[in-house]
Amino acid sequence: MATTADSNSNALVMSDISKAFPGVQALDNANLVVADREIHGLVGENGAGKSTIIKVLAGIYEADHGSVWVANEQLEQLTPQSVHERGVRFIHQELSLVPYFNVTESVFMAQEKQGVFGLATRKMRRQAEDFLANILGAEIDGRTLIRDLTVAQQKLVQIARALIDGQARLVVFDEPTAVLGAADINTLFGNIRELRNSGISIVYVSHYLSEITEICNRVTVFRNGVDVDTIHLGEEQVNGAGNVVSGAANGSVRQAEIIKLMVGREITDMYPESQATPANTVLEVDGLSDGIRFVDASFSVRAGEIVGLTGIIGSGREALVDSIYGQRRVSKGTLAVAGKPIKLRSPAQAVSAGLVLVPRDRRNDGLVLDMSVADNVNVATLEMVSSKLGWHRRQQAAQRADQLVEQLDVRPRRSDTIVRFLSGGNQQKVVLARWLTTDSKVFVLDQPTTGVDVGARSEIYALVAQLAAGGAGVLMSSNDLAEVLGICDRVLVMVRGRIVAERETSGLALDELVALTTGSALEGVEGVAS
Amino acid sequence: MSGRAFGLTFLSRYGFLVVFLGFFIFFATQSDAFLNTSNLVNILEGNTILLVAALGMTLVVASGGIDLSIGIAIDFGGWLAIVAMMDHDVAWPLAIVVGVIVGAAVGAFNSFLIVWLGVSPFLATLGTFFIGGSIQQIYTSGGGQVPFRQMPTGYQELATGETWGIPNEILIGAVVLFVFYVLLERSIYGKRIHAIGLQPSAAAVAGINVRAYLWMTFVVASATASVGGIISTAGLRQFTPLAGFSYLLDAIAAVFIGASMHPQQRPNVGGTLVGVLFLGMVSNGLNLMGLDFNFRDALEGLVLVGAIALAVSQRRLPGRVGSPA
Ligand SMILES: Nc1ncnc2c1ncn2[C@@H]1O[C@H](COP(=O)(O)OP(=O)(O)OP(=O)(O)O)[C@@H](O)[C@H]1O
Ligand SMILES: [Mg+2]
Repeated sequence: MATTADSNSNALVMSDISKAFPGVQALDNANLVVADREIHGLVGENGAGKSTIIKVLAGIYEADHGSVWVANEQLEQLTPQSVHERGVRFIHQELSLVPYFNVTESVFMAQEKQGVFGLATRKMRRQAEDFLANILGAEIDGRTLIRDLTVAQQKLVQIARALIDGQARLVVFDEPTAVLGAADINTLFGNIRELRNSGISIVYVSHYLSEITEICNRVTVFRNGVDVDTIHLGEEQVNGAGNVVSGAANGSVRQAEIIKLMVGREITDMYPESQATPANTVLEVDGLSDGIRFVDASFSVRAGEIVGLTGIIGSGREALVDSIYGQRRVSKGTLAVAGKPIKLRSPAQAVSAGLVLVPRDRRNDGLVLDMSVADNVNVATLEMVSSKLGWHRRQQAAQRADQLVEQLDVRPRRSDTIVRFLSGGNQQKVVLARWLTTDSKVFVLDQPTTGVDVGARSEIYALVAQLAAGGAGVLMSSNDLAEVLGICDRVLVMVRGRIVAERETSGLALDELVALTTGSALEGVEGVAS
Repeated sequence: MSGRAFGLTFLSRYGFLVVFLGFFIFFATQSDAFLNTSNLVNILEGNTILLVAALGMTLVVASGGIDLSIGIAIDFGGWLAIVAMMDHDVAWPLAIVVGVIVGAAVGAFNSFLIVWLGVSPFLATLGTFFIGGSIQQIYTSGGGQVPFRQMPTGYQELATGETWGIPNEILIGAVVLFVFYVLLERSIYGKRIHAIGLQPSAAAVAGINVRAYLWMTFVVASATASVGGIISTAGLRQFTPLAGFSYLLDAIAAVFIGASMHPQQRPNVGGTLVGVLFLGMVSNGLNLMGLDFNFRDALEGLVLVGAIALAVSQRRLPGRVGSPA
């Protein structure tokens, strides 16, 4: 554990950082040392303190004690301005964008460009669009409102905002790929490597250990607010041509090592055995179109089955999920739950028909952030904890919440915590907990493991398998292809608004699935992003 | 939690009660009449109309909206109840029902604008406010009073009578208060309304029928306010057009004073009651002291700003900035 700025070539040294919140010691003398021109991984379970140390660096939280050096200069008072001036940039885990700003305004927020006649709107728009297209590989009109973008596109806007002024020296990515598809992740990795090669240091927080071993030079593991170890991952080297030559061939060995440090035990089977004995059809989607984002989607899910739905940004996957849950209008097509056709008008109708959703955007759609864990767990099923007339039985509600909190290992294990103050992964567990004990027939899970740590992820997979074994049909929309292969029985692949392939997952190779999502494996369908 | 943080938290939650008590003691020392039982009963009785209006407002604000037309519901409820008795010989208990239904109709009009047409609650209820005011002026030849001297005693006693030695007005206020407490704080419907107010998108995804709840919220709020109008006409034996307006700002103030006392700054029934009693006490006290009644508005303003500043300062405490993820 490095505790001092002993080396002269450190981009960042954070030493002995402590931070307590009421009831939680989020950081307990934690250290983080990032060398120059290094991609430094930061991993740890949900609630380990990763986001907290990053927010301390960002000047958002004031540490109780500890010291911070940026480029070998000790910073006495960390404020958002002082770290920004020193070229530290953040891509925070949560999307901090204004819904009713457009893309240009968001990219240039607080760094607007002045022209001779006031704001140089055109110039900013061109720059923003160019940056997004050339550097991040996304064609987005600079006038689009943030609220009309997909979550993945919003992430790219957030990245553009951090990098567009070209002054970055140290860039911190807090779980950037959680919402991105495989192809976009590759583009992003290319960019991160380029940044590093141009002399910028990177801190990279992720729950995807394969990503960590793929691009990081070193990784620091956090557990309960302490850095338990920093491991070398075999130097990546830059050869003469500027291409990266990875030295780490033993990725999975390293991953197992990291997992052990993170959770204090080994996780052997990430994915439960498939025990699908599909019965009757519980979800039948026939010819669904919304006329804009997807057309003619037809598929079915049977009881006991876990069906994956995947596709890159712009494939229409998100819109399709929203429509199935009645959140988006459809122009054509029908949907039936357990043989009964339902009108796609509102989530309330979907729920009463027995179709429930775990939404991808948990902070906006999944949780009432200012309510307690107990209230969030019960909010969809209040009848279960009330008298016939609607008298709210608080004790019963608290008991039910406590049980679920226990079952899903939500930390802290207190159902009266306000959900806003839970770490990302724990928030996700709360959303999942909500539907677990309902007897819903179809579970639509949209990115259910986004931001969830390995340990909890394997627990969630086990729960999903249990749901299916208990006779529910599960539709799991995900951009994590390894997860799709691991847990689903079948997978539907969307490209440009159409379901272009349906495959059994047993025997399907990851490469093959990647090729399907990019459309390159298909005749007659043009490749989308590369 | 540091000592300072604790102090601030305490102040923001209970500080208002301290202010309340301070004023109470101040008035008690300044005026002999203030502490008389009959005066205290007067305060309770005199603020029933404000209380029911403010309770309706609490419901609306909890669901994330605002109702600027609450005065219209008060006016229409009382007005049409006496019109029913005067011009159509409707029995007085039935006239009460008529009044409440008319109030509910005002709310339904709001709901129609808000839920169906998608107008924001502020603009929709502002529209209702203007339309409702205009209708009253048209049908009362420019705002003339509508007296009703031969009012049935049953109706009149809503405001002037007693039951078991307790003034009926206070009883009515207590019943409405109880109903709202159960509805908003102890029933699952209240939970849902709070969820909708805090985060409508999440409430919708959880399967709550947000439109239906918003619809009901405005209807119930206006129907409740109309009870205030009925009491008002019963007490005065006449209908004074546009009189309901005077309750609007006080009702809003009471709701937000109450919300500032809640740990999460949420509108709540108990807080609203405290807010109403405070406003009632201050005007009564100033009155007894022979001070200019107009001071009351200034005081109310100061207290409101003070209470909300305290509540907000609590959010700025260390460790509560931003949010984790
Ligand atoms: N503002 C806050 N108020 C109260 N508790 C907080 C606050 N911010 C973080 N915490 C708590 O501090 C701990 C560390 O949270 P943090 O967000 O740093 O975790 P994390 O490592 O980023 O986890 P994840 O991988 O789930 O994002 C958690 O227990 C969390 O509940
Ligand atoms: Mg985090």
